Amino acid sequence: MRFSKQSAGLVAVGLISAMALTACGGSDDGGGDSESGATGTGTVVFGESTDFPENLYQFISAGNATSVQNIMGRILPSTYNVAPDFSVAWDENVLASEPTLSTDGGTQVNTYEINPDAVWSDGTPITADDFAFTWNANRSADPADGGCESVLSTNGYANIASVEGSGDGNKTVTVTYAEPYADWQSLFTGMIPAHLMANEDPVAQCATTTAGWPIDQGIVGDISGGPFQLKKENIDVGNQEVTLTPNPEWWGEPAGVASLVVKNIGNDPTTAVQALQNQEIGVIYPQPQLDLVSQIENLEPNVTSDITFGLSFEHLDFNTTDVHLADPLVRQAFGQALDRQEIVDQTVGQFSDDAQVLNNRLYVNNQPEYQDNAPEQYKQADPEGAKALLTQAGYTIGADGIATHPQRGPLNIQIDTTANNPLRETTITVMIPQLKAAGINATFSANPDIFADVDKPRSLVAGGFQAALFAWVSTPFVSSNQSIYYSPDNGLGQNYSRTGTPEIDALLAQMVSQPDPAQAADLANQVDVALWEQLATIPLYQKPTFIAYQSSIQNVEDNASQAGPLWNAEKWTVAE
Amino acid sequence: MFFFTIRRVVSSVFVLLASSLLVFALCAASFDPLARERIRQPPPTAEYLASRAEALGLNDPFFQRYWDWLSGVVRGDFGTTVNGTEVADQLGGRILVTGRMIVLAIVVAVLLAMVVGVIGAVRQYKPSDYAFTFLAYLLIALPTFWFAAILKEFVAGGVNDLFGKRLLYTIGEQSPGISATGADAWTIWTDRLGHLVLPTLSLALLSFAAWSRFQRSAMLDVLGSDYMRLARAKGLSYRRTVWKHGLRNALIPLTTVVALGVGTLFGGAVITEQVFVWNGMGRYLLQDGIGDGDINVVLGWLLVSAVFVVLFNLIADILYAVLDPRIRLA
Repeated sequence: MRFSKQSAGLVAVGLISAMALTACGGSDDGGGDSESGATGTGTVVFGESTDFPENLYQFISAGNATSVQNIMGRILPSTYNVAPDFSVAWDENVLASEPTLSTDGGTQVNTYEINPDAVWSDGTPITADDFAFTWNANRSADPADGGCESVLSTNGYANIASVEGSGDGNKTVTVTYAEPYADWQSLFTGMIPAHLMANEDPVAQCATTTAGWPIDQGIVGDISGGPFQLKKENIDVGNQEVTLTPNPEWWGEPAGVASLVVKNIGNDPTTAVQALQNQEIGVIYPQPQLDLVSQIENLEPNVTSDITFGLSFEHLDFNTTDVHLADPLVRQAFGQALDRQEIVDQTVGQFSDDAQVLNNRLYVNNQPEYQDNAPEQYKQADPEGAKALLTQAGYTIGADGIATHPQRGPLNIQIDTTANNPLRETTITVMIPQLKAAGINATFSANPDIFADVDKPRSLVAGGFQAALFAWVSTPFVSSNQSIYYSPDNGLGQNYSRTGTPEIDALLAQMVSQPDPAQAADLANQVDVALWEQLATIPLYQKPTFIAYQSSIQNVEDNASQAGPLWNAEKWTVAE
Repeated sequence: MFFFTIRRVVSSVFVLLASSLLVFALCAASFDPLARERIRQPPPTAEYLASRAEALGLNDPFFQRYWDWLSGVVRGDFGTTVNGTEVADQLGGRILVTGRMIVLAIVVAVLLAMVVGVIGAVRQYKPSDYAFTFLAYLLIALPTFWFAAILKEFVAGGVNDLFGKRLLYTIGEQSPGISATGADAWTIWTDRLGHLVLPTLSLALLSFAAWSRFQRSAMLDVLGSDYMRLARAKGLSYRRTVWKHGLRNALIPLTTVVALGVGTLFGGAVITEQVFVWNGMGRYLLQDGIGDGDINVVLGWLLVSAVFVVLFNLIADILYAVLDPRIRLA
């Protein structure tokens, strides 16, 4: 091996030297990054690892991508932002004061004061009209009601009865809800410009929405209401990169760099490391893998990196229509048999000592609202206790150590997960002997159809599985949890364990219509306590996120929420 | 020759039809363009999913879907991606990107193969022959992605360290943002050259290795033939016989191999593009096509690649006749 590398390298060096010499004269190092440019504030290149946007309009399917959010989060104004510690704070650039919430007489009313200085990049003031238009464009998917079928989601906006403007320059916005909505802070995020898009005719309006902002045409009017602007001429579809420049009309603290390039570099970890090493890329945000993390750490001190734990978490789902798992005692035995600390140590614990067992389904460990709701018996492995539960359920432990039920047969549980996912494979591999010690014969199954539609019998939706390991994404906004834990009587939603209780349903219903964030969080934790009792799902661990950047770039900080790694890109500066 | 060409083109059309039908069937059976939507939290409504499926034509019978696609292609409409981008708009630019890499790689590889093959044959069993033989087998044995990664790690790093500045690049066709930040044409040109070196080399060296073996054995065949001896007996110099009579005849087998190898190179370029982040046809297939479960993208790629392969086979056949007047195409 040693010889082969060297000789191949040797010949190549010779050839390249010859070729490089031809390129040598006059090449003044065309690298567009940290060198000081004409503006003196430099360029940062962000290596996007997911994809290249096809459409920049986030309220339709084609624009519903992480890569789009990373860019548009710096361009379109929002009322609230999620900070790296997952707290939610009002945007002090867009708004003049903290929005108010009133629930007098059971009617939710929010009032926003827009910053008097807030203007779009063409000079038009940002007003209540933009709020009203953002609501109007997303409130309904029903054309008969003046809505539009291509709207990605009407959640929250559908609850609003009216959006009215008043005050000096139409800068005061009063939003009145027909039905209270817990996650009102998640609305009016990435607001769209009424003066460029609004149309009286709902059909024409829907056509505008459906078309969105295709990448080759750019954002309508090159508009921006944020620190950066994306001009059409700076979109390079062929090279899959966009160059953001400071918004000249931005009224807040100006951006620290002259340009921010977002380039799709794909998800190959070696590519990202080598590009970072060769200083072609400033910041990367790849899916963490162990060898990637160690390779990056070898690049210190030129490169700085950081592992944090994000909102995405792995969990086990039990199918309660399965003959064994329908029995709560079997599910409890399963829970008691698992040593979740060992699972964490063997998986995400390898990335960082900060990895913890997740004991909550609605909040992850580092969210401010997180509570450890797990009953004591699930906090350490207790194979004997698990066996006792199985015996109580009518199982007998056979000579092979496997529990068998006179009617249900041997306790064989197949745990399905996505194909080609080493982290999940390890998780199940660690579980299998733990379960075996308690008489449960678990097996690993890579199921390529796990997220497929009902036409694939082994999909989660079709229900052809016993137990499944996959991820959910937590959020500071609680309402997305409803469809996961609501009883199947209300429609399956994402309740793949196919069970529920009236108590949980009632709590969920209260939770999603509680506009006070503190009270909603309290209800969410009550839901989780009830879910521990039901034990149709078991949370395991948060997944890590990983950011790495040239040490010459200041103020880079991971934000593992939907805000993404570019959340504070306007604060980035490049050392001269 | 004219009728031969016509006949070949007509039969190629049937090959293209059959392959597109097969690939369409495979993609239609395995792709699920709505998978991304279904795992959204909170989930989309059933009506929303139904309207998406309807818009993408997923509910139509298989042959109707194929017919819709085929009739579009005949009109020059390759359809749109799941996210609504025109496939035809993407194909043009991407062919140029991949083409730039492949054409350059072929030129480099053919020249190298000819030189190394001829030297190997003329100096058979001399140390230089053994050295090139060893090198060729080594390169044949190397997987593309690994070789490319080695080039990036050691060659790019080594050369850049040697010159104390960045001459070779590991990703992209040009430095990110270089056009947007207003660099002059010369800077952009040299920058692109710096980006072109490693991908071209990685593709060229792997093809050259096999081709040089063909060239060497063809040359050996020719060197031992009667007409070569006759040419020498007529009093021609050794150098002249090898150049005028030997090499020309020995190029015929290489022509076949190279023309057929273009298809392989297209396949090799898929990996090379992936490793060097060149947004050509290969990345289009892997990321936008297979990655996103997008049938129109995969078929667009298939058609373009198949046309390339067919075209180069045809060129090979025609070159036979040019190189060897005894071959008649009829």
